Amino acid sequence: MEPLQSQTAVLRDLHRALVRRRFAQIEPKLRLELAALGLLIGAFLFWHTRVSFDGLARSHGPLAVLEAAAGLCALLAALGGALAGARHAARLHDPPGPPWLALPLPPAWLARHLAWESRAFALGAIAAAPGILFAAVGLVPLWWLGLLAAAFVWMVLAGGRIGCAVAAFVMARRAPPGPGLHPLVRTLATASHPVRGAPRRGVRWRTRPAWLALCEKDLLLSLRPTSARRRLVTPLLLGLLSLWCWALPAPPALALTEAEVRALEHVSAFALALVAAATLGEWLIALSGEDPFMVLRGLPLGVGVIWGSRALWAMAFAAALVLAHAASARPLAPEARLVFLVWTGGAALAIALLGANYGVTLFPRAEIAQRLYALSLGLAVAGSLMIPLMGWIVLLAGLIHSALRLPGWTRLEEPA
Amino acid sequence: MMSVAGLTRRYGRLLALDEVSLEVGSGEVVGLLGANGAGKSTLLRTAAGLQPPDSGTVLLDGIDLWRDAVEAKRRLGYIPEEPTFYDELSAEEYLAFLAAVRGLEPGSARRRAAELFARLGLVGRTDEPVGRFSHGMRKKLSFIAAVLHRPPVLLCDEALEGFDVAASLSAKDELRALAGGGCAVLFSSHVTETIERLCDRAVILHRGRVARALRRSDWGAPQPEPSPLERAFLSIAGAEAP
Repeated sequence: MEPLQSQTAVLRDLHRALVRRRFAQIEPKLRLELAALGLLIGAFLFWHTRVSFDGLARSHGPLAVLEAAAGLCALLAALGGALAGARHAARLHDPPGPPWLALPLPPAWLARHLAWESRAFALGAIAAAPGILFAAVGLVPLWWLGLLAAAFVWMVLAGGRIGCAVAAFVMARRAPPGPGLHPLVRTLATASHPVRGAPRRGVRWRTRPAWLALCEKDLLLSLRPTSARRRLVTPLLLGLLSLWCWALPAPPALALTEAEVRALEHVSAFALALVAAATLGEWLIALSGEDPFMVLRGLPLGVGVIWGSRALWAMAFAAALVLAHAASARPLAPEARLVFLVWTGGAALAIALLGANYGVTLFPRAEIAQRLYALSLGLAVAGSLMIPLMGWIVLLAGLIHSALRLPGWTRLEEPA
Repeated sequence: MMSVAGLTRRYGRLLALDEVSLEVGSGEVVGLLGANGAGKSTLLRTAAGLQPPDSGTVLLDGIDLWRDAVEAKRRLGYIPEEPTFYDELSAEEYLAFLAAVRGLEPGSARRRAAELFARLGLVGRTDEPVGRFSHGMRKKLSFIAAVLHRPPVLLCDEALEGFDVAASLSAKDELRALAGGGCAVLFSSHVTETIERLCDRAVILHRGRVARALRRSDWGAPQPEPSPLERAFLSIAGAEAP
């Protein structure tokens, strides 16, 4: 066994190489787009917190501003920690890299490395902090902010460590007992299992257009234990919840008027329908992630057929939402119902199509597509909150931009 | 036939293919030899349309792969070195999907798949999810997927690696039959013996360039097939030599 110092150096070198390589894999254009998105999120946070901080400074003094900023930073760090933990649990299920247990590595070393990989997700929280810190500039002494920034970085790192530790603990608890074995070894030993499932009988060899064959394959994969199946449950549940909004009784304690109840139903049904569409977009991206690059690129399929098969799901979902809401939104006046249906259908379609576009144009990098999709939708929500209809403009801009990238599909490559 | 002209491909500073030109005629099986990193897989991946070249053209059955990719790929079969599948689908579901996308007649595609399953020893496993398959079984399925539609051009990257003796002999017979029907086969392998037995010509790739081209007469008569050792194995395994 190598001395600890040497193992630490090996780990450090590996991490440096991985960071360098992963950064190099992001295209320069995508780097600029990500930076612009980060800047816009920061600007949004600045926009929203500056006014509140200013009010706090006037009414309660600079200490109250510091407390509020520290509270927001702690919230961000906790969010980052939770993200890292969730990511770590998923990674322990199927850790990337070599067959780790076959290597002569101490489990503690391996645990540190895998946690490092997952903690990178917590660092995303750092991108959001400058907006909050800049919002406090001029309201509190600068050196306070310097200290807060340092404390925030520490909080993010600690949050990531705690999140990963909790995930490792939970995964180890789930693993079968193995006396004398390190918890990580037990977790990894049970993580890599062959694909589950019973034999598939009754295969139908039928003539059908390529787009239909693709849709059928997507459906099959969504019924089998894949990441696509996990992603499909959420939009279906949220879609049903959005319908349920129309039937929910108003809490008597609130003593709402009839008009207020209608407005509450209207807003909650609309919001849940859009969130359902957003999660459907995530499912469409997950489907792209299920497509093996060599299989899809080796087939005589143009981007039109591939995009069309995914867009069809988006259209079917939007149409189903509209039809179901048309039947459920009876409390609304006919004109109001029509407006609601048009807006809900249009927004749901645009949101889900954005997911389809990212899934196809960033194929086979489904993880990057998921992140960009979340960022774009976050930006659209932020835009909506800042200026009425701004969210639509952001959404449509994202849709057009991603659609313009579709012709480049033929030149996409598998990441090295 | 297949024609590659002036194909160049870089990975950053590494020049993986340097102005490679070669032709594989209809009915011809051409072996592709080269050391690790010589550019064999890069050549096959680029010729299969998985990655664009920096320059040069690939014609599959007379169709420019990068101008009319869909039409060109209708005529192509490609066996990658490390095949990937939809692991949750069964072998038969996967082939039925490929057959539909390629527009094959369902009845004949099914019969052909059943025949290839039998010849390569996959009968009884075709309803299992592919994710359960061993490496050799995955390679066999990849072979079947590539030849199911009897393509006019077939690119093989270490196609027989991982095959057992009986399946390897059957697969070579299938390749010869395809070539007999006019298919142009480019067959990359590290096993010179396989190339000697199977190929009409061979091309040696070195540092991304075609270093030498040889004809069958250049390497003389290959070992008889099956060899005595293969015969011994087949007698114990209970399979008949094809």
